[in-house]
Order: sequence, then C-alpha cells, then structure tokens
Amino acid sequence: MVALTISNLKMMVRNRQTTFWALFFPLVLVVVFGLFDFTSPTSSKFAVLDDADTPASHLLVSYLRELEDRGLLDEQAQPADRDDGRRLVTSGDLDFLLMVPQGFGAGTANDVVQLVETPVQPAGPVTLIVGNEGEERNQLVIGTVRQGAQAALAKPASSLGYEDLDTTGSPAAPAGTRPDAVITERVSTRQASYFEMVLLGLVAMGIMTHATISIAVRVSSYRNLSILKRMLVTPLPIWKFFAAEVTAQLLLAVVQAAVIMGVGVFVFGAKINGNVIHMLPAVILGSAVFLNFGFIISAWANTPAAASGMGNAVTLPMMFFAGTFFSTSALPWLLPYAADALPLAPMIEALRDIGLRGATAWEVWPQLAWLAGWVAASAVVAVRVFRFS
Amino acid sequence: MSEAIRVEGLAKRYGNFAAVDNVSFRVRAGEIFGILGPNGAGKTTTLEIIEGLQSPDQGRVTVLGKDIQKNARWIKARIGVQLQSSAYFGFLTLNEILTLLGRFYPKRLPPIELLEMVGLEDRASSRINQLSIGQSQRFTVAASLVNDPDLVILDEPTTGLDPQARHNLWNLIKAIHARNVTVVMTTHYMEEAELLCQRLAIMDHGKIVAVESPSELISRIETTYTIKLESSQPLDVSQWNALQESGNLQKGSPDPEAHAQTGTSYLLRLDKNPEALNRAINCIVGTGISLKHLEVRPATLEDVFLELTGNELRD
Repeated sequence: MVALTISNLKMMVRNRQTTFWALFFPLVLVVVFGLFDFTSPTSSKFAVLDDADTPASHLLVSYLRELEDRGLLDEQAQPADRDDGRRLVTSGDLDFLLMVPQGFGAGTANDVVQLVETPVQPAGPVTLIVGNEGEERNQLVIGTVRQGAQAALAKPASSLGYEDLDTTGSPAAPAGTRPDAVITERVSTRQASYFEMVLLGLVAMGIMTHATISIAVRVSSYRNLSILKRMLVTPLPIWKFFAAEVTAQLLLAVVQAAVIMGVGVFVFGAKINGNVIHMLPAVILGSAVFLNFGFIISAWANTPAAASGMGNAVTLPMMFFAGTFFSTSALPWLLPYAADALPLAPMIEALRDIGLRGATAWEVWPQLAWLAGWVAASAVVAVRVFRFS
Repeated sequence: MSEAIRVEGLAKRYGNFAAVDNVSFRVRAGEIFGILGPNGAGKTTTLEIIEGLQSPDQGRVTVLGKDIQKNARWIKARIGVQLQSSAYFGFLTLNEILTLLGRFYPKRLPPIELLEMVGLEDRASSRINQLSIGQSQRFTVAASLVNDPDLVILDEPTTGLDPQARHNLWNLIKAIHARNVTVVMTTHYMEEAELLCQRLAIMDHGKIVAVESPSELISRIETTYTIKLESSQPLDVSQWNALQESGNLQKGSPDPEAHAQTGTSYLLRLDKNPEALNRAINCIVGTGISLKHLEVRPATLEDVFLELTGNELRD
C-alpha cells in the first residue's frame, strides 16, 4: 500500500492538471485578493481626548484635522475617558487615538505669563495610540502628531522626547515624566484583515475543489480505462487500492494548505496567529468529506469530463455559499443556517478560529465534530453508490 | 496438473438475456486454448467469471484445481489476465507500472525481463501514451505475466492491430506457450485461432457449439472446398442452376473487402463428395461463365463456423 501511495503521489505530481487545480487556482485568488488593498480607499478613524484644552493643544489637534480635510482621517466622537478610548482602539472601532494630557503647553515659551503665575501642573506626555492600520498611514499620522507637538510647544524638534511603545493588550498608561514628550503606543488589535479571512477560506476552498474534482475524475477515468477491473484481477485487496488513493490525496491536501498559506503570509504579509499544527485535524477531516463527495460523483458520472463538470457544480456554489469570501450572515432568511450546515462552512470556521484568533484544535471541537459527521455520512453514501464498471 | 480450467454448467443472465447459457469445457495444462465467436457470444463474460470479476448464477468453475468461489485470492496470485481494452496509469513509466503491479503478487518477474520478452526493453522509461497500439497491446500482455503465472488469460489480444503487429503478437503468444504456460485466449479471427490454438471452443449466443482441435473441427464438417468466383456479368438462370447442382451456391462473399463487387461475386461450397471438385470445375467451364477471378480453397474454420452456427463470423 505504501508503494501504491508513492505511485499515486508520483502520478499526481506528473499530472500537471492536478497541480493546476491543487495550487494554481486558489493561488490566483490569493494573489488577486492580496493585490487589492482593502484598507486604502476608506479613511482611518481617529478620536481626540484633549484634557488640556489650551491653545497649544488646539494647535496640535488642528494638525490632525488637516489630515481629515485631505480625506485621510475621519474624526469620531470623543471617548468617555482614556480607558474607553484604549478599548475602542483595541476592538478596531478606532484606528488612532490622540490623548493630550492636562497642562499640555502650559510651560512653553508661548505662554510665559501662565508659566510664571500658575505653577505647571504635573502633566503626562502626549500619547498617540496606534491601531492596526497600514504602516504607511501609521507613519503619516505619527509624523503629523510630532510636527504638531513641536509647533505647539515651539521647541526645536531635537529637544522633544519621543518614545515608541509596543504594547499588546491594555497596559497601564506609560508614566512619562516629561510633559513635552510624545509617546506612540501601538496596540495590537486582533481585528483580522479581510485578506486574512479570505486566505483561510481559500485554503479550505482549494482543498475542497481539488479533493472533489480530482478524485471524481481519477476514479471515473480508472473505470473507463478498466484500471479498476485490472486491479480486481490481482490478489491486491481492493480496499488497499482506495486507501492508497485517499492517503495520497490527504498528503497532497496538507502540502496544498501549506503552500497557499505560505504565499499569503510570506508574499502578501498576512498574519497567522495560531499554531498551524492545530489546523491539521480540520484539513484532514475536510479533505475526507470532499474525497467522499468525489467518490460519489464518480459513481454517477459516466465519463471523466462529466465527473469534472459535476464536481464543479457541487463545489463552486458551496465556495460562495459557505463563507469563503463573504460572511454567511449576509444571506437572507434561513439560508445562513443552511450554508453553515454545509461541510465547507465548519472547515473554514475552524481554520479561521485557529489561524486568526489563535484557538487550539480542541477549542474548535464543535466544528470538527460536525465535519466528522459529514465524513461518516458521505462515506456511507459513497460505499452504497460506488460501482466498479 | 493435467487440467488448468474446468467449467461445468456455467450460466449468467442479465435480466432476460442469457449471456452465458449452460457452458461446460475443460482446458488442459500447457495448451493454447481458444474461444472463438462473434461479439456478444458470451466469451468475455465467461472469462470474467473465470477471473473472479463476476460471479456465476449457476455452475462450477475450478482453476488450477481449486474452486474459484472459495480460493479467489490463491487463484488470482497464480494467473495472469489481460483484459479487453484495459489501459494502465498514464502518468507512470512502463517500468514503474510493472514494478507496482509486481508488488501485489507473492511471486514476480523483474520488469526488464518482462519488457525484453515483449521487445519493449528500450521503452522502459516511456509512458503508455507514447506507445503505438501494437506496442501498448504487447505491454498489456507483459503486464499479465508479471507474476510468472501458470495460466494466462488473454481477451481478444489482437483486435484492432495491423497485420504486422498481429504477427508480432502471435509470436509472443507462442513464446509464452514455450515457457510452459497455459494460454486461454478469445478471438474472432479465424486464421488466428487456426494458427495458434491447439484446441478451440466455438461459442455463439452464450452456448458452446463445439470444442475440438482446429483440424478436427474442419474435418468434421460437410464442406471440403470453397470456390470463390467473380464473373464480368451476373449469372443467368441456367448458369445459376447448373452451379447449384454441384454444390451450395451463394451470392456475395463473406470477405468484407469484396463487398463492393457483390453483384458479380459468388461462393460455391462443395460437399464431401470426392467427385465434387471435378464436377464443379467442369460446370464452370461448360456453362461459359466469363470469369474475372477464380479461387479454390480448402475448407477453413470460417466454413466450420458457418455450418455450426448458421452465421457468418461478424466483426
């Protein structure tokens, strides 16, 4: 059986059409979606929490509003307090939050009298919280804030202190001692990009189309060429023949998932949070369902061409329906439930939970159980309808 | 072992159609045994039951002394099968296919030895679709020998081959036979059956009509000679009647290439009368038929088949 599996892999590698379906088609989609920059057409959301309310702070804020006039930023309602603002950035509702501390600008040369008459309040530094935007946009906003602070404090840039903090989650506000410093604080918002969502959908879709169509075409052509019969006249138990076929396909599915994700991550910079090893159960169970679909189709199709057409008819609607590109919740009426019941939906869901939210394999057990149910049901049908000639 | 195959009272029906109808025959060890019959006669179904691909409705089959129902695996390991129009994996080389097939058997021959046997040793790293029809047919025979079998079953090995490729395959079958392997083959070519087979079963409409050696079959029938003649004009009534007296006269010719001239082609079959040949020749000369072509040949299996089944052997 090992020899058969190796032979199957050899045949698949040499069959360029197999390679095409296994990799090229989903990869083309990865490239297409990777090239679209889904963030650029929209303006980034920012809010200001101005606790100083001084002419200097107004000047600083005006710099940011200038970006808004250029259509790059879109000011949101002021958050209730610092913690509320931080939370809004973390959840992705805000991309930037500028926090100006009390007493900002009170000790500058612009305001000498005030400095003399009222002692400077101990003020924290200006803090800019940066969410998960594109790096280009981030640099623009950070630079603008620094410029604004510099102008507001009328100090040469060299004397202004900067600190870059990379915090994930919600740390305590940095207790800066210099009132004239600007602190940039980066918050990791786990609001996955649309591309990352699609990428994991494409992994599942690639496995689905390849498993279903290639097994349907292979088995129906084996039948047409009497290769199945030829196997039956050897002493080889026929289950071993199919087991080798399935093993080779499962190995290919794992390679396929790795290549598609690799291109998404290394070429288009998608971020995969979870441990990819935990994706294996979903990849294997999903492949098994679609291989069974392929066997069932091969029993109905009289020619390999018909098998290919039927395979497409089954997989293409499922690809759109089960949430590869769009959320199933956008469907009307009871259809979201129907779409989620299809085997592709739990497979994609499991992959996204693991890949984007860092879930473990056992945390996605409901999806895996649903897939296992599909494996069992489709296997029963496949065995019932299968024919050798 | 003196008996390679024994078939007793075999029957297989598909709905109302009796594909195989109470068939019995034996194949002796070491012989080339032919099953001759037109398409749809039940040859392939009979072979598929022997190979274990189909189960019979009735009857008993033993192969190499063992019952096919109880010892399928044992038998499959010891026989070689070439299926009608069976292809192989298109993306493996000949060498790889033979290596893979060999893995399924407890006993196997090295791929290169098999390829040498069929004259394909220089194509070991080619793929099936790079071979000519004749070569791929020889390859399927090589594949049937992968387990060094005691018995080889070849289903219409020469169908669709050109004359030269067919001759190559005949030599190959003789070479297999020379290795002391029993060969069972089906064919619908008379000359092939006559040339290769030591014994023949003639099959039609699911039944076996006769089992004997080709020469015994020929000597058994009524016809001794067949005269094929072609005249420049159709025969008139008196000429027709005169010829009819010396034998069995028919219009046309069973030879498909001659169909274009059936209008003036005739076949005269002579019966087992020592005088028949003389009388017929005299008659042809005497009635003044203007001949374009005249051919006298002794009876062949073609005539046997015609007499036993009432049918010409159709392609």
